[in-house]
Amino acid sequence: SLTDSHIQYERVGADVTMKCGSMDWDAAVTWTANGTDIDESHLNGSYLILKNVDLTQSGQYSCYEGSSWHLKYQTYLRVGTPPKEPVLMCRSNNYPKGFYCSWHLPTPTYIPNSFNISVIHGTKEMVCEKDVFPKNRCHIRYLQLFSTVKYKVTLTVTNALGKNSTTATFDEFAIVKPDPPESVVAKPVPNNPRRLEVSWQNPSSWPDPESFPLKFFLRYRPLILDQWQHVELSDGTSHTITDAYAGKEYIIQVAAKDNDIGTWSDWSVAVHATPWTEEPKHLTTEAQVTETTSASTSSFMPPPTTKICDKGAVVGSGAMAVCWTAGLVLAAYGVLFI
Amino acid sequence: MAAADSPSAAFQRRDLCSRGIRLAGKMRSDVIDLLDTYVERQGLDASASVAAAVEGVPVAAAERWDEQTGTQRLLENLAAYRAFRALLAQMLEEQREQLGEADAALGRALAAVLLQVSAFSYHLEELLRLESHGPPSEERAASPPPPHLGLFERKLRGLGVLRELAQWAVRSARDLRQLAKSGPSSSSAPSPPESP
Repeated sequence: SLTDSHIQYERVGADVTMKCGSMDWDAAVTWTANGTDIDESHLNGSYLILKNVDLTQSGQYSCYEGSSWHLKYQTYLRVGTPPKEPVLMCRSNNYPKGFYCSWHLPTPTYIPNSFNISVIHGTKEMVCEKDVFPKNRCHIRYLQLFSTVKYKVTLTVTNALGKNSTTATFDEFAIVKPDPPESVVAKPVPNNPRRLEVSWQNPSSWPDPESFPLKFFLRYRPLILDQWQHVELSDGTSHTITDAYAGKEYIIQVAAKDNDIGTWSDWSVAVHATPWTEEPKHLTTEAQVTETTSASTSSFMPPPTTKICDKGAVVGSGAMAVCWTAGLVLAAYGVLFI
Repeated sequence: MAAADSPSAAFQRRDLCSRGIRLAGKMRSDVIDLLDTYVERQGLDASASVAAAVEGVPVAAAERWDEQTGTQRLLENLAAYRAFRALLAQMLEEQREQLGEADAALGRALAAVLLQVSAFSYHLEELLRLESHGPPSEERAASPPPPHLGLFERKLRGLGVLRELAQWAVRSARDLRQLAKSGPSSSSAPSPPESP
């Protein structure tokens, strides 16, 4: 028996007419969709008429000769849409090695699409090597550095129902955006109730931080507040926060930027840390020894506005004496309330 | 003069490189501000396209930049900044003729950048002396006289000069970092910079 099997692409909302191969119009036939008989109301003679098709009507359509049930025609109907203008983004997270461009469609087409990308620098066409995964990305190696000539990247997306394209034009410096810093760690500083030590590493994708140093932006806030504190750091991969509220849990993030060009990275993964707090001490007064109730375990937290043990003061043993004296005063104050 | 690879020379090189990097950073920042002023005062569109290679303007773009020796970097930088010194001096003169005292701010900004370019050139000469090569004579590195241009072409050329200078300022900072990182320059004879 003769069969004709192929893929047929149709737009959503289109009217589709399927012929049963070489069968005459007045031949007796049966149509099935995914193995299920199609009602005769959809037939015009031996032709199958599908009006205003939608995505649910994608599937395998088969036509059988009436009496013999010989398969006369088969097609796979794919209902979809032509592509809308694709979204294209180019970025260099590994400067000065090169840059990558990635793309996606703003809405799915529901049928296969192919993408073609061209990169032009001045009069020169450059090769964009497609990634195996993800498939919507390709890489370009810089052939020149420090050029004022812009790059022009054109992406064309094509499917069986149409094509669309978009172009991005940019200069070398504008697209430089490192990945966020890695391995961010925040730790309390022993015996320092207002400090947190934060350290991080350069993003591993940044190939040469020595020649192309990064600067960093650190932001932190206690969980109980919405407002961030910010610190910009021109070198080094660590910083000590010295104005943390004692005993409060903090959330901390870091971002990176090339020292000279481009834009800030996204924020790093957030880390949490709480400044060091003193272990609660049991006071050995006579009143406490004779108490029959459970032992008091009050812990004294200096108010956030306390400046006695601020970073400006905690330098050398003189300042430590000031802090110790303050601790005694507070301890005595607390005893009054037991 | 200390040998190029002696400890004191290494310290001097690092110090000169660090100061040069800071100079280049300040210069770039000022050139970018000057670009904004220039575009506004000259009635240009900030996104105006200037020919890729404006005659006589040293192009910062470099192929195989990472493969250059320290001496090559210094020589190329020096040739560029000497050319920019002449170009900026000419722009300053043209600006005074064209606008006179009507735009003192632009004139002052141009003069300030010209001063920084001169200072940076001197800084590069010091680094070259330290590399035991010595800077090439000024006459050899001088740019040929620019072509005669109409007013609009001169304005566009000025835009091209400043844009390229901004690129050079970034490149110079990178070059000096490479120089500081790599230590004494290679023993191969320095190749003279290509004439613009």
